[in-house]
Amino acid sequence: MEKNSIKEKCGKLLFAATAALCIAAAAAIFVFIIIKSVPALAETGVGEFLFGTTWAPDANDVYGQPLAGSYGILPMLVGTLVATVCALAVGGTLGFFTAVFLSYYCGGKVKAVFTSVINLLAGVPSVIFGFFGIKVIMPLFNALSPTGNSSGLLLTSVILGMMIFPTVASLSKTALEAVPSAYFEGALALGATRDQAVFRTVVPAAKSGITAAMILGVGRALGETMAVVMVAGNSPQFIGGLFTSFRTMTANIVLEMGYAGEVQMGALFATGGVLLVFVAITVVLLSLVTSDKKTKGRGGKRRGNFLLNGRRACFAGKVCGFVSAAFALAFLAALIIYLLVKGLPHISTQLLFGAYEYGGEISILPSVAATLMTVGISLVIALPLGICAAIFLNEYAGSKNPFVRVIRGAIDVLSGVPSIVYGLFGAVTFVTLLGGNYSIAAGALTISVMLLPTVIRATEESLRAVPMSLREGALALGAGKLRTVFTVVLPSALPGIIAAAILSVGRVMSESAPFMFTMGSSIQPMPEGAMSGGTTLAVLLYYLSGENLYTDEAYACACVLMFIVLLLNAAAEVMGRLLQRKFQGEKNVNKKRGRKRALERAKENA
Amino acid sequence: MSIKKEGGKERLKEQKKTREEKLFSKDISVENANLYYGDFHALKGIDMYIPAERVTAFIGPSGCGKTTLLKCFNRMNDLVPGCRVEGTFTVGGEDIYKSKDVTSLRKRVGMVFQKPNPFPMSVYDNVAYGPRTFGIKKRAELDEIVERSLKQAAMWEELKDRLGKSALGLSGGQQQRLCIARALATSPGIILMDEPTSALDPISTAKIEELIGSIKEYTTVVIVTHNMQQAARISDKTGFFLMGELVEYADTKDIFSDPKKEQTKRYIEGRFG
Repeated sequence: MEKNSIKEKCGKLLFAATAALCIAAAAAIFVFIIIKSVPALAETGVGEFLFGTTWAPDANDVYGQPLAGSYGILPMLVGTLVATVCALAVGGTLGFFTAVFLSYYCGGKVKAVFTSVINLLAGVPSVIFGFFGIKVIMPLFNALSPTGNSSGLLLTSVILGMMIFPTVASLSKTALEAVPSAYFEGALALGATRDQAVFRTVVPAAKSGITAAMILGVGRALGETMAVVMVAGNSPQFIGGLFTSFRTMTANIVLEMGYAGEVQMGALFATGGVLLVFVAITVVLLSLVTSDKKTKGRGGKRRGNFLLNGRRACFAGKVCGFVSAAFALAFLAALIIYLLVKGLPHISTQLLFGAYEYGGEISILPSVAATLMTVGISLVIALPLGICAAIFLNEYAGSKNPFVRVIRGAIDVLSGVPSIVYGLFGAVTFVTLLGGNYSIAAGALTISVMLLPTVIRATEESLRAVPMSLREGALALGAGKLRTVFTVVLPSALPGIIAAAILSVGRVMSESAPFMFTMGSSIQPMPEGAMSGGTTLAVLLYYLSGENLYTDEAYACACVLMFIVLLLNAAAEVMGRLLQRKFQGEKNVNKKRGRKRALERAKENA
Repeated sequence: MSIKKEGGKERLKEQKKTREEKLFSKDISVENANLYYGDFHALKGIDMYIPAERVTAFIGPSGCGKTTLLKCFNRMNDLVPGCRVEGTFTVGGEDIYKSKDVTSLRKRVGMVFQKPNPFPMSVYDNVAYGPRTFGIKKRAELDEIVERSLKQAAMWEELKDRLGKSALGLSGGQQQRLCIARALATSPGIILMDEPTSALDPISTAKIEELIGSIKEYTTVVIVTHNMQQAARISDKTGFFLMGELVEYADTKDIFSDPKKEQTKRYIEGRFG
């Protein structure tokens, strides 16, 4: 029995240690980025760096010598902020109205279809968004542009907006659905129309959740790299209009990392540092918004300050809901159909299985191999760590424990860090650690860190779905905590954990920014092992779409990538539903039925 | 040297034997028990003796502390944060809050919960869960235990052909009886039941009551119930709780026919609670 209690203690310690690893990872990212950027900041001066208006780096600049280039990021800082605000205007509005439509104006199959559309859009790789942007939307906009070239703010806002749309929509929907149906019914009972009840009662009640959704959308827009690089035009100048080329901070890093000189490199890391500051701000804002229970006390001052007020305005809101949802569906359909039509005819055996020759035939086989290796290695690392950390958080730690709070904060930070910053981090840590050469192993390690928050959150969610009574049952039979976790809790949560694994695979496949400076910054040949460089499918698509020589192959590649990722996401969703069905608690059923009944009642009333 | 050693061994064996005998005793005694959830005083100075191989029922209005006391007997209250227990609980001859070995306590004291909680595995694996926890791995031995436990729970006939099927496919009443079989599989001397029939229909309830009548021949049963007819039907002794105190504790027939305390009388007659 002594032996058992030692085992229990070791288990708990191990779980706690893996959870603590998240703190270490988050701290390491900040520390390494800061260490690498301090010398450059010292050289240029913080004020000159942040507020200098010219970015004209000289690759020959070295520390300790007078600078030949200038390193002011203000144009890109402004570019990032303006693009983010515009993207929020597009994606936030669409997302909000779609969420309202989904939670209050449709039901049954329509709702299921639209929910899947949102989930699928969330899984579309950013290179595909960028690719779709330059190939489809840009030609449309070119007609509007005075110069005939439309890369710039408008195009970027639309693409970025569609990228943050699913985040805003699905989180707002969750917030709206969490509003007690009594509010809705109460408003109807006072004679409000259905639209008024939704926009004047339910929406204000869900305000904090919707705000949180917007903030997360902002975080995603700030950190987005690859799609922006493809559509923004990238001149390091101030935004001059809707159709003039501009550059964001993330784009700055990805464009110049490959050939940067000493000071230039430092300045790029400092750019990453500025991005991290923004991330930190969004994480703090988020925690303020989601924990505003304390501030609710000041009620008295609040006046009827609604988004929409009169009957007509609220009716217009409902129409916006329909239009937004329809637009989202149309966008996804256009994306899929266009890629299919353009890509399918060019998928050939040469493309899939042929040999890759420089300057000659293109084959995706080396990329498929590199992608598979990256997926394999990163899953082997991230899954066990993430699952153990989730077990600690959900099974062992009380929510009030300050250690747990720090861990949760670290996970929030890790999930907010832009993928390009992960790329920088991987370049200074894993690449150096593995001998200084780009390698698949370094890329896989980098993305493993990036996967941790995804795996932890998904696993935790599935652990939470396991009823408490099962744990009690096992404990009451004399099972220790470890045995309870491993024989009862984990097997019950298995579908959710498999979903987490599938999501992770999708994530690795669709990411590209973290691989550029860890696995090789040009198209690599067939990998010989984990220590040789590689180009994942998403990165290959980025390179191919940059060179106008291989347009057809690029379409085919986009087609393949898109469908693998969509399939994986669909599979993850199915697994998630299986888990739900497994323990469909009476509560949930009643709640759903209650809502349905409420809606039916509401329909009669209206 | 060798004689001495052997004598020592024998003494050790004897000590072990008396310890085992003690552990196999099936009664519970509680002395001056107090329990706090943070600042809330949930059990106030409870003294009681629960005899072996009898059914003892705890009745009382919601929040009176009956389930709290029940969960002290196998230390399930340890799971509640901020829970503090004072006093002596002697369960099966052992002061359970002094011993560190919670798992062997829970092996000797089984528990059945309000809502059936079969694990999402096969019927067989559910029943074998307890024995496997305590290191029994041989298939033959497990087979025997599963058969015995299911027979004790009067389910062998209905389940023997579907031992490999998921336990979640059973009806609510079957699930609860399976949970009783699962608790019986570790051969506990005592079984605690926390409103075991409150989520079931009348027919399943009758089956479980019948089952309780048969397992009390070899096991002590302590049952918490909201249903006074149930307490009257199946128990030998009844304790009435109110606001964390044990108001009255006596033979069931006495308590229902001739309650000594005014509060008990009013509760039994249905005037509050």
